[in-house]
Amino acid sequence: MSRKSNPSAYLFVAPSVLLFAFTILLPIVLTFVFSFYDWNGIGSMTFAGLDNYTRAFEDRIYLQSYGHIFGYIGATIVLEVLVGLVLAGLVTSGHKGSALFRLAFFTPVMLPMIVVSFLWKFVYNSDFGMLNSMLRSIGLGNWAHVWLGDPKTALIAICFVSGWVYAGFYMTIFYSGITRISKEVFESAYLDGANEFQIFTRIKVPMIRALVDTGILLCVLTGFQSFDLFYVMTNGGPYNSTEIVPTYLVKVVFSHMSVGYGSALAVLLTIVISILGVLGRLLQRKDSALEY
Amino acid sequence: MTGAAWNGIQGSNADAKAKTGAKRRKRIFGLLYYIFMIAISCVFFYPMIWLVLSSFRQNKEIFMDPFGLPAKIDFGNWKEAWEIGNMSTYALNSVIVTSITLACILLFASMGAFAFSKLRFRGSSMLLMLFTLGLFMPLQSFFIAQSYLFDQLNLKDSYVSLILPYIGLGLPLAVFLLKAFLDSVPKELMEAARMDGCNDAILYGRIILPLLMPSMATVGIFSALNTWNELLLAMLYIQDDSLKTIPVGLLAFSSRHMTDYKMLFSALSIVTIPMIAIYIVFNRYVVAGLTEGALK
Repeated sequence: MSRKSNPSAYLFVAPSVLLFAFTILLPIVLTFVFSFYDWNGIGSMTFAGLDNYTRAFEDRIYLQSYGHIFGYIGATIVLEVLVGLVLAGLVTSGHKGSALFRLAFFTPVMLPMIVVSFLWKFVYNSDFGMLNSMLRSIGLGNWAHVWLGDPKTALIAICFVSGWVYAGFYMTIFYSGITRISKEVFESAYLDGANEFQIFTRIKVPMIRALVDTGILLCVLTGFQSFDLFYVMTNGGPYNSTEIVPTYLVKVVFSHMSVGYGSALAVLLTIVISILGVLGRLLQRKDSALEY
Repeated sequence: MTGAAWNGIQGSNADAKAKTGAKRRKRIFGLLYYIFMIAISCVFFYPMIWLVLSSFRQNKEIFMDPFGLPAKIDFGNWKEAWEIGNMSTYALNSVIVTSITLACILLFASMGAFAFSKLRFRGSSMLLMLFTLGLFMPLQSFFIAQSYLFDQLNLKDSYVSLILPYIGLGLPLAVFLLKAFLDSVPKELMEAARMDGCNDAILYGRIILPLLMPSMATVGIFSALNTWNELLLAMLYIQDDSLKTIPVGLLAFSSRHMTDYKMLFSALSIVTIPMIAIYIVFNRYVVAGLTEGALK
């Protein structure tokens, strides 16, 4: 700190700082302010104190939407991180052709979420959808189902789509971790008579533990931000059984014009995510530098 | 490799019978492995193939026999979808919005990363903290007020209303990734350049930018894909059909042609094929860009 401040540095940071402040920071602060008002976005603002917040805690749909998000996150941890881990174990088991399988598993990640959502809406379509047709053709016709129209199956159906997209993504992350483990470790394990399964559970998984933790944290944080999939496939329905905070927020603010109340809901969501993010960083071990 | 070595050792002190038994078991396991992996690959791949194949068929055929193959590969459906769906407008809008956003993110973030990493100035750690906040904050924590702000400034229904927030969303991660890279560049390089009379601007243009190119490719792929696919803001800020980007355009398209499945399948295929092509051609960069971008 002995050297003096360099004035030209401000010119270098100015564009990014100003843009970021205007597009992100200012709106965050404004959202916080709005949350204390009863306001429809156009008319007059009436100060409402904490009314919006107390209303939020009595809003059943809002509270349930957290339940749906947590369910979704739990399912995606299994369908994305766990499945990704198993796939990573399989493609690193020393068989030929692993590059081709890796290519195939990662492909869905490249599809725009909106395409994925429409595609799977068709797969789940009750009349001519792929899933029901397949069930009928193998004689399980009575399992055919209105997958997205039944509150019992809609959320699970969406979770599965998310798994379909991201399992390959997590596999790729874990794969690059496993390939960094030194060959000698595997060699000595083989000499000791370990089989593939033991090598997977005793060596591969423990050695990339930090990456697995990062993956779970990523699942949690991105889970709160999902929107496209839910919006296109069910938009919260049927009977709010797949309502999550983002879809509900859009309804509250842009359909019901409750800007003040919506802001309070957004502030609460921000607080929840910040707490989870900080907790996650604290629990996480350092070391996740990847090499390719 | 290790398996072969192990076999050799095993072979030398086990009798021939056990050897053939182990070999056979290994072959069966290998076969099961491939059957399983191919089955899983089908789960990942078949829905996409089904989408493209269906786009060549007629509505009635899709409805009667979902798994049937198209009678012939006829791009008529695609052409029709492209034309009646305004796809060229949507595609052009997406290209404009994504390329301007990307150029701004890369330019501003590299300048910022240079200052944060190599120049000393008052408040640098405070400003960096603000960007950390940006890494965490979800879209939902600011889009309500941002929408109001853009309403007041009459920015809605313009490219700017998308480009500005997309830059804001992309900057924090870009600044951090590029700064992390510059931190690993030795100070001596800068000092040597300064000795030769370089000022900060020349230093940035002649030395920092070329050094940053590989990292900027990573950041660029991540930011470009995020921008290209963004739906929520584009949906809220753009009502004018001639300004819609591909995701919102598809949404509008689907509500206009709700039951015209062959059109929808065609539109989805048109949007998907270029992405898959990019993925296959730039495989390594795309995979690195997406995974590194997400992990930070």
